[in-house]
Amino acid sequence: MELFSLFVRSVFIDNMIFAYFLGMCSYLAVSKNVKTSFGLGVAVCFVLAVTVPVNYLIDKYFLQAGALSWLSSHFQNIDLSFLTLIIFIAVIAGIVQLLEMAIEHFSLALYQALGIFLPLIAVNCAILGGSLFMQEHHFPTLFHSFVYALGSGVGWLLAIVAFAALRERLRYSNIPKPLQGNGIAYIITGLMGLGFMALMGF
Amino acid sequence: MKFSNRYIFLYISVLVIIVAGTLAIVSLVLRPRQEANRKGETAARILKAAGYGALSTEQAVALFDSVASPITDSQTERYAIVCSDGDTGQVVYVSGKGLWGPIWGYVVLASDNNTIKGVAFSHKSETPGLGAKITEESFADSFSGKKIYNADGEYVSVVLAAKGNSEANAENSVDAISGATITSKGVEKMLYEGLKDAGK
Amino acid sequence: MKKFLEPLSKNNPIIVQTLGVCSALAVTAQLKPAVVMAAAVTVVCAFSNLIISLIRNTIPPRIRIVVQLVVVSFFVILVDQFLQAYLYETSKMLSVFVGLIITNCIIMGRLEAFALSHKPLPSFLDGLFNGLGYGLVLVAVGVVREVLGQGTLWGYPVLSDKFYTLGYMNNGLMVLPPMALILVGSLIWIKNARQS
Repeated sequence: MELFSLFVRSVFIDNMIFAYFLGMCSYLAVSKNVKTSFGLGVAVCFVLAVTVPVNYLIDKYFLQAGALSWLSSHFQNIDLSFLTLIIFIAVIAGIVQLLEMAIEHFSLALYQALGIFLPLIAVNCAILGGSLFMQEHHFPTLFHSFVYALGSGVGWLLAIVAFAALRERLRYSNIPKPLQGNGIAYIITGLMGLGFMALMGF
Repeated sequence: MKFSNRYIFLYISVLVIIVAGTLAIVSLVLRPRQEANRKGETAARILKAAGYGALSTEQAVALFDSVASPITDSQTERYAIVCSDGDTGQVVYVSGKGLWGPIWGYVVLASDNNTIKGVAFSHKSETPGLGAKITEESFADSFSGKKIYNADGEYVSVVLAAKGNSEANAENSVDAISGATITSKGVEKMLYEGLKDAGK
Repeated sequence: MKKFLEPLSKNNPIIVQTLGVCSALAVTAQLKPAVVMAAAVTVVCAFSNLIISLIRNTIPPRIRIVVQLVVVSFFVILVDQFLQAYLYETSKMLSVFVGLIITNCIIMGRLEAFALSHKPLPSFLDGLFNGLGYGLVLVAVGVVREVLGQGTLWGYPVLSDKFYTLGYMNNGLMVLPPMALILVGSLIWIKNARQS
């Protein structure tokens, strides 16, 4: 039950795009049509679901204050949390690289579908954001962090696909000239965000 | 220009060592200040609830050490504190669950172990504009002067009643936050559980 | 010099290039965090541009992204540590968004497009002005949201009580995150309308 509510919450209420604007750059750049958006969305889900749990373990066993005490009691006072950012981003960049190689090796079809998006993802704020929010939430178990990551990824996927669908329709609407393109894209995202806020409840 | 693998490896190693070394030094130098900030924030909030007014973190840390002392035989975090009016009360740490995540706070009880001097609540992720209002001053102020025992001497804690209903039992209730029922219930439960032992 | 000033308006990173929106808009509900965030991004952008430009001839092309990430994270961590030590309140409001400066597309974009191929001083200025251009939008959005949403500016009340007695109310909508996007959209609209 707790896990389910965590999942729902991370998909809808803490939606990466509508509540925190994470990953906006690729969101605006790639949302021209539904099919590519879906590809990018799946890739984001995938990378989040892998990197967040890995970073969870690293945070728990290396970075937090006193985290090294499992090695030896001498290390109890070591606090490496100032290295968090650099380690997280290095892990993400590394895993994305590995994933790209693995996918290319095992499934050419999948590589053709996701491959072009993977390099984009290493510097996507949603991915680093996922790991940083995971650290803020202090999840009790590894599985919690996985559920959270998956939920956030699904939320991101949902947002970009919905937005791309709207954008496809937008081509036929009569928008004031200065507002066309990015202007209207921002405003639509804002309005969708307001809609999502209604799910917050009281 | 061509770069050998060895060069690349050396390059990245040197870079990482320089970066990690510098950061370690900076972090060591700044850590005492950061910890003082963290401690000072809590101290300032407790002191405000005890009637000392708004203080900067430095003032708060210094003052807190002189007026408050931890009560060691308690299960939870508690302090004995001399309030601004000279009365010796106690600070009780309370914690519970809101709508979305943990809520917690400090309650300052007067020496009669009954009257609330002030409270300071915090939350992790309540809805902005609704549940998040528990951190606001107007909400905290509504608690001062309330009692945790009713006229018959029974323990009732403080109830968060819907607006308008709180007058019926003014001593033991405050206005709930409209629109934030679950958060209000959470605060009520947190106070009931947290002050149960403290009031004796 | 004129070229360096371009990011302030004509080629503004947020409004025209739509870069770096990610970590920015969630912090503009009030002016103070917006200003601190703008300053942090400007510092990181200027100095990482400078450093990358200084070592640009020694970086092996194959690992240049990693080197850039390391340099940027280095400055971000520095900024984060300083904020925690000297501006604790604001750093708490900014929470994870300071860390997310690392993945701010403006910074990576400037490193790739400018610092890797230019001398240190121009790179430094390029980073500085791109950071300022970004900050300008942040501050503008921050001012509008704080004044309309809470009736304060930098935490001080700016609307007289008379307004409120006449029935004026703070617009709670402005405090919600999606309004930042709608405001930026409107800014783009105004800017495009003026140019054409």
